[in-house]
Amino acid sequence: MRNVLRLVWFDLKTELRPPIWIIMEWSLFLVQVLIYGAMLSQLVEGIAEYRQFFAVGLVIMITFDLASHTGRHFVEHAHEGRLPYLLSLPVSRTKLFIAITLQGGAELTLMLAVPLTVTLFMLGNLTWISIVACIFTLFWLGFGVAGLMLGLSFIAFKSSDLYTAIVTGLSTIIIRFSTVLYPFFALPPQYASAAAFSPLTYGSDLVRYILGFDHRILLDPMYALVVLLALSASTLGLGVFLLQRLVEGVKSA
Amino acid sequence: MFAVETEKLTKRYGKTFALKNLDFTIDDNEIMVLLGPNGSGKTTLLLILATVLKATSGSAKVMGMDVSSQSTRVRKILGIAFQEARGFWRHKPADILRFHAKVCGVPKAEREERITNILKNLELWKGRNKLFMHLSGGQAKRQEVAKLFVQRPKFAIFDEPTSQVDLRGKRQIWEQILKLRDEGSTLLVATNEVREAEYLADRVTVLNSGTRVVCDTVRRLKDSIAGGDVVELELDATDIGGLLDTLGQIEGTVKIADAGSNKLKAHVSMAESWVPRMTELCYENKARILSVRVTEPSLDDVFLHFAGRGLSDES
Repeated sequence: MRNVLRLVWFDLKTELRPPIWIIMEWSLFLVQVLIYGAMLSQLVEGIAEYRQFFAVGLVIMITFDLASHTGRHFVEHAHEGRLPYLLSLPVSRTKLFIAITLQGGAELTLMLAVPLTVTLFMLGNLTWISIVACIFTLFWLGFGVAGLMLGLSFIAFKSSDLYTAIVTGLSTIIIRFSTVLYPFFALPPQYASAAAFSPLTYGSDLVRYILGFDHRILLDPMYALVVLLALSASTLGLGVFLLQRLVEGVKSA
Repeated sequence: MFAVETEKLTKRYGKTFALKNLDFTIDDNEIMVLLGPNGSGKTTLLLILATVLKATSGSAKVMGMDVSSQSTRVRKILGIAFQEARGFWRHKPADILRFHAKVCGVPKAEREERITNILKNLELWKGRNKLFMHLSGGQAKRQEVAKLFVQRPKFAIFDEPTSQVDLRGKRQIWEQILKLRDEGSTLLVATNEVREAEYLADRVTVLNSGTRVVCDTVRRLKDSIAGGDVVELELDATDIGGLLDTLGQIEGTVKIADAGSNKLKAHVSMAESWVPRMTELCYENKARILSVRVTEPSLDDVFLHFAGRGLSDES
């Protein structure tokens, strides 16, 4: 396990020297919530304090964005020559996969530190319990999305252009057709049917439930939790399979 | 037991065979050099032994452990320096070596000393705190091989260890590779540089199109080419024609001809036994030898002889 932590820390520390990307992500979040969120709040009717709803949606989008980068990093590592090196280290494939996803999780935690704190503060819910519960939920959501992107990454070994096109298209659909920015009850029927397939729908509704949003505008939290855990388990399994079977067999590795 | 053993090892990419039914062994504590042109399957073999690639069929064992079913155990005793040093653009050389040493289990007490020594020996000390992306091609290559000199694995794999490195750097790396062997490691070095192979090899395996062409010591490979040694003689004699017939009778003579101006050119096998006999016969025939020049075949000639083409020829 020490080697897993070493692998995670080795890359993570470069992100912190200096932490430009993290500070930029925090700044972007603050600008969006304080300016754009305040304006939207004036326009949207039917949801009390839409700015808070919007802030949680932004946190979910950051989670999705970072988790999907894990898959992209994986492909970049393969093309840059880092992946063969990692595959040659005395670490089992499963542990290596865990290290890659844990690193994504750790980056996510760092990126979300300020946005989550600000959101909880806005909600008047800045307690250790809500912080831990939110991080737990976001971590599983991130884990699932990262696994999904890793699962798709094998396409990139054949064509990185095709991978970029698929992931961009998929990201657009997953974010737009979800309850990240709008509650489920307000969605038109066709839109709601599509949103039921987005992992972000379950992640965002579960986080909002934990943070005390009106549960009448949210999906059943137990259902959301089961979907998230199932997504994580299945995509992680797929990721380990791909690492063991495909990456070790392709020419670009 | 061999340190490394492959049996009918095959790797296929679609319809192309990178390796085809390769049987190959390395003895314990020897330096085996893999020699072959680009695309001959050298890197593929190294990557399979390092458990980075999976073979399509056949088996490969390192220190008795199967690289497919016991891959994690195999990785604990091996290290590989890749052909291209890439990947850690935003890290510093010293940090990369420290990380590698920790993950590979180098004892804490020895870690810093080994890193310092290698950085100094390979002239990376000044650049130890530069970012990897700011290193020159040669420095990056030194950094890549330095990982193994710090790790000192039981089985070390080097893929073209001195490509992009200047002559002085090549010498330094070769010395470290020999030192690693002297300390008990078994080494596999892939190269297409003849000089590197001759300097390092205990034995050489010549690969061509994914198959083994020949495997032996450098000396025996050179000796195995009939007429591979060329002896050029300058004589103070009047009857060159008669002498030509006499010397042509020496065992190992493949071809001998008058090169004009009292000179003879002979293609022989095993020049080390041919030249003393030639000297005796010249003395008996009262022909004074003014000069003798012996040229032995290079490994490129060896490759040409066994594979039917030169190392630098494209397939």
